[in-house]
Amino acid sequence: MSLCSHILGVGKAVPDHVVTNDDLSKVMDTNDEWVHQRTGIRERRHIEADCGATDLGKLAAEEALADADLGVADIDAIVFATLSPDIDWPASASLLSEKLGAGTIPAFDVKNQCSGFLYSLASADALIRTGRARNVLVVGGEIHSTGLDLTTRGREVAVIFGDGAGAVVVGPSPSPERGLLSCHLHAEGKYAEKLWLEKVSSRSRPRISVESLGGDDPSAFPRMSGRYVFKHAVTRFPEVIREALDENGYGPSDIDVLIPHQANLRINQFVAESLEIEASKVVNNIDRFGNTTAASIPIALHEARQDGRVTEGKLVCMAAFGAGFTWASALFRW
Amino acid sequence: MPPEARLLSLGTHLPGAPLSNEDLAERLETSGDALFAATGIRTRHHASAGEGPSDLARHAAQRALAGAGASVEDLSLIVFATATPDVTFPGAACFLQEKLGAGTIGAIDIRAQTVGFLAGLELALAFSDAPGPISQSGAARILVAAGEVFSSGLDESPSGVDMTPRLADGAAVSVVGRGEGGARVAALRWHTDGALAERFWCEFPASRRYPLRVLEQDLVEGRHYPRADLPSLAPIAQTRLVEVAREVLDEAGWSVDSLEAGIVDYVEPAVARAAAGEIGLSAARTDVPTEHFGHVMAAGLPLRLSEWKTRLAPGARILLAGAGPGLSWGAAALELE
Repeated sequence: MSLCSHILGVGKAVPDHVVTNDDLSKVMDTNDEWVHQRTGIRERRHIEADCGATDLGKLAAEEALADADLGVADIDAIVFATLSPDIDWPASASLLSEKLGAGTIPAFDVKNQCSGFLYSLASADALIRTGRARNVLVVGGEIHSTGLDLTTRGREVAVIFGDGAGAVVVGPSPSPERGLLSCHLHAEGKYAEKLWLEKVSSRSRPRISVESLGGDDPSAFPRMSGRYVFKHAVTRFPEVIREALDENGYGPSDIDVLIPHQANLRINQFVAESLEIEASKVVNNIDRFGNTTAASIPIALHEARQDGRVTEGKLVCMAAFGAGFTWASALFRW
Repeated sequence: MPPEARLLSLGTHLPGAPLSNEDLAERLETSGDALFAATGIRTRHHASAGEGPSDLARHAAQRALAGAGASVEDLSLIVFATATPDVTFPGAACFLQEKLGAGTIGAIDIRAQTVGFLAGLELALAFSDAPGPISQSGAARILVAAGEVFSSGLDESPSGVDMTPRLADGAAVSVVGRGEGGARVAALRWHTDGALAERFWCEFPASRRYPLRVLEQDLVEGRHYPRADLPSLAPIAQTRLVEVAREVLDEAGWSVDSLEAGIVDYVEPAVARAAAGEIGLSAARTDVPTEHFGHVMAAGLPLRLSEWKTRLAPGARILLAGAGPGLSWGAAALELE
């Protein structure tokens, strides 16, 4: 039996500042009912002073290390998933490594949007199973709030996103019966422009200009064709969950816990219904955190472990769909 | 035990005609000779308006696929390393996937600066060798792309005189998988020291800055352009290049004298040459990518590796070593087969 990896520890960190739908209705033309009905979101967290995704990531990582009963010296590599890096370059993983005091281990960023955590998890798993690393810290972190159009013009997108970070320590599974069974990664760049943030763009000349800042250039803010995204999400989510189940000889009824990316409660409800998975088996916390992109799955996992839903022996499926389009799944025997 | 994955082929693309120091000198209010004296770089390439790294990588990918006798249908994953993505999100890998018509295979974007290709290569080797959907689907070829378009984000005013001539555009793509020929990766190691991150960086846009990632004032101050404290980094980069080169040579069990070539990449060619000398490589066996086309960060090492692969016979040993922003540095020991 070849080596199997597993999540050995989980951590979470979100800013203290809660922004309710009512708060947003003071700066843009929206209201709690409209937002909640379409997305399931009641509130999200925003930073209130300078704070990077790696500042939250550090807190989440330290909790994950403590949860795994490991020290930073036990970590061989850092993978940081984000679409909102602290700075333009180098990778935010470098900054996170420094904040954790992780010495000179390899540290890189993964930019895979809503699927970023699962792509990073798959990367860590491959490095571990080929003996290139023993324990890998995988952190998903986003600071969306500094890049949103928080006016009526930007409301369709701005109400969705929240700031936060989640972290896991991935390492050799303590038992051959437990761990990560398989990961499935997909993308379809044909739809890259259906959910994207164009500027800054290295293909634009100049890459960034005063004219493209905040004012009248909509390409400086994230844009989304909501119906397109919804339509593809409700197809790809069940598909990639079934792919993971088929690979391992399971069916939807075998799933004990489904942890989907938190993009839209209506998408997750649709997915659960189409796979005939009971609502009680699906972890949703978008009402409190909004869409935290690469951080959503580890944050939801953290909560599901704390409230006792994810325990040893459970069949746990994680799945994501989002910008790229990218989508992915991972199946665990916990 | 199945054969381990290897680097099967490489393809490269440098956009347009080479741009000389004289071509840049007027805007930067200096002379071509002064630029060469300051940077050690004679020419570089700049992409055209509208071209992003995925456009450059597309050409390189088609060459790499042809070189490996592979088709797009054989691919099971695309890895793209860049510090200058086409757009803020999604990543360049998604754009390349669409340009190649690669169906719905996974596409992952990574950031590791000058060691981006080495980090991508390591990831591709791991995905190829770890049993799973990616290593077992079809021919299971993985594309590792490294591409940069710096030219659209450089300071073309006289205040850009220090960095603008150094950073440049280009792409290189390799096909990785199990098979015959190509190059075996005998050892690969890389490192990061984030304490040095702000000594060679592009600060803005910065999501960490409240309440907005980028303000007009940042542009006035030029903080959206690459900046570096190169004098303070030079001795550190040189030391790290030597260290990591020795680390992979030790791991491979190779002597320096057994190498046919050492490709050593750093933004300052003189630092790369000094490191190569300290490693024990003769000048004739040392290749410094930056001397050829400026610093193309993630793509520098594979752009030159492609050239040496065509020159050398099977059995030849090549060392790759690079250092850049992060500070990140790494090396690989490759044997042609």
